[in-house]
Amino acid sequence: MMQVPVAKAEQATSAAVLRIAAVSKRFGSMTVLQDCSLSVAEGEIVTLLGPSGCGKTTLLRCIAGFWNPEEGAILIDGQDTVQTPVNRRPVGVVFQSYALFPHLTVAENIGYGLRMRGLPKTEIAARVAAALETVSLSGLGGRYPAQLSGGQQQRVAIARVLVLEPRVLLLDEPFNALDAKLRGAMQVDLRQLIKRLGMTAIFVTHDQEEALTMSDRIAVMRAGRIEQVAPPEEIFDRPATAYVADFIGSSNFWQAEAQAGRVILPDGQDLSTSLTGPVRVMSRPHNLSLQPGALGPWQGRLLFQRSVGALVEYHVTTDSGDMRVMAMRRPAARQPVEGDTVTLGVIDPGLCAVYEP
Amino acid sequence: MTASCTRLAARSPTPGLLEAVADKLLSGRGIWPAVPAIIALTVVAVIPFIILLSLGFSQIEMERGTIVSQSFTLDYLINALSDPLYWTTFQRSMTLALTTTVLCLVLGYPVAYLYLIGGRWTRRAILILTIAPLLTSGIVRTYAWLVILGGRGVVNTALMQMGLIDRPLRIVNTHVAVLIGMVQIHLPVMILPLIALMARQDRRLEEASYNLGASRLGTLWHVILPMSAPAIGTGTALVFTLSYTTFVVPQLLGGGNYLNAATMIYEQVVYSLEWSKGSVSALILMASCLVVLTLIAMATSRITRWTKGRDA
Repeated sequence: MMQVPVAKAEQATSAAVLRIAAVSKRFGSMTVLQDCSLSVAEGEIVTLLGPSGCGKTTLLRCIAGFWNPEEGAILIDGQDTVQTPVNRRPVGVVFQSYALFPHLTVAENIGYGLRMRGLPKTEIAARVAAALETVSLSGLGGRYPAQLSGGQQQRVAIARVLVLEPRVLLLDEPFNALDAKLRGAMQVDLRQLIKRLGMTAIFVTHDQEEALTMSDRIAVMRAGRIEQVAPPEEIFDRPATAYVADFIGSSNFWQAEAQAGRVILPDGQDLSTSLTGPVRVMSRPHNLSLQPGALGPWQGRLLFQRSVGALVEYHVTTDSGDMRVMAMRRPAARQPVEGDTVTLGVIDPGLCAVYEP
Repeated sequence: MTASCTRLAARSPTPGLLEAVADKLLSGRGIWPAVPAIIALTVVAVIPFIILLSLGFSQIEMERGTIVSQSFTLDYLINALSDPLYWTTFQRSMTLALTTTVLCLVLGYPVAYLYLIGGRWTRRAILILTIAPLLTSGIVRTYAWLVILGGRGVVNTALMQMGLIDRPLRIVNTHVAVLIGMVQIHLPVMILPLIALMARQDRRLEEASYNLGASRLGTLWHVILPMSAPAIGTGTALVFTLSYTTFVVPQLLGGGNYLNAATMIYEQVVYSLEWSKGSVSALILMASCLVVLTLIAMATSRITRWTKGRDA
């Protein structure tokens, strides 16, 4: 089931800052990571996306060195780090609730790593001041973390690892502790900051919108495996598995029969496939069209409709199953009402995906 | 809660007042919820103590069982402060208490650290082993030390069996025996506040510390130790107070000739029936204890000033 697109294989060369090679991790008899492979290029932001319990945090903790995988290798700049103790890895972690030291001031928090490296006080002060500047917190160095807002705390947590110039930045659900209103703006800010500094980052989340905003590429995880690694648009348009299609965005599935490399769609169009026999076909709601009346072969009854801004979401029951359609709102006179017979069509068969049943 | 208040109020002849008092006691603001405890302590501790203290500062003339005259005097206090016996006794008490406190901290902190890094079963075991001694009274435990450390006790028998010594060591009735007993009796009081704090400790702070390049020792020194300062302060204050004013351990393990502040007061009041002397000694004991507690509180508050700005 694991598919790493061949096109991405070239990134698994020495150019990759971080390479995760066939990593497996078990806790007792439970396998939490199975054969995970992933390469991250210099300056790239990759998101590990999946529901809770899919192993994304475990993978992050393995990269950080808090846990070690039983099998596989984690290479940073080509060097296997599995034997490297946690405090020697060139990896900076931004924790879910930031884990700022409450007994140290903001400046002392940021200077902590430099102090542990035994740097002279004057250099620590200079680098802390620069880091505060980078995250726009100048003037707040003397405060304690409890005196800061959630967003400010997050920036201290980032500055605390940035100041050590790690090769890889790991962010474990950094927006979880923030209220929903702040998140959107903070996501854009954080992405821009990481890009400006040219950092290589791995970002863990269960929130697909966050993943779509933050990432250059998304690795969708399920039950300890990486299902697909691809840029956000590709994940959305060409989900490699039915699971990815279902997890990212909304989707319609129906059963069909593949014969001689083709699948006939309910509206009469057809689609090529490498599968034969019974298959599942997937289309996004915005790739379906809806016409009032009985105009074609794919007819159904309108169950429910609601306006979502300029778009209308329709729920239609058909012989192939219940479908969701997203389409532009029509002039009031030509807008169907609930209970009407409607005709569905696939706008671009190329954007449908065919999966094993 | 409201229902029971209403019911109480309905039965009371002055519903308004009782309800108002109940409301104050339960509202949790100011000192109101502590009022019952304050009243109880005033009756059983503060008033008797004031009466006791007044004995130390009054010159009482008695004739045939009745008081004929009573006047204020500082003679007892001045006599006590100019008596070298008092100074050596209080100094002995202070040294014993400070040594006990330091030893309890030195022995107790590693246990708390083990609790912090331990798994579920380690934590349970530490908790049980810490609390178990508290289930027997201090007197019983002190007698147990007599059995262990005595002339024909476990320690001496074992040492003689191994041929390390020819005749029993004299341990009981020495300073060492008192110190061993004191540390054992008071160790749980040091450990409990420490592990209560460790149980609440956010383990991610340690991970963050390691991730930032700190070693285990560096993390202990720069993160765990400063963050446990409030519990160290509590444990230190408790152990110091208990061991500075202790009576049972020095009395039993010191064999009746180990004089500390509490045993001296006991002798003054029970044997010599000099209540005025005993009263003044008790005052000195309490005052010197408060001085040390204040120093501990000041040091703790200085180290934990980061907790103050929480809501700023």
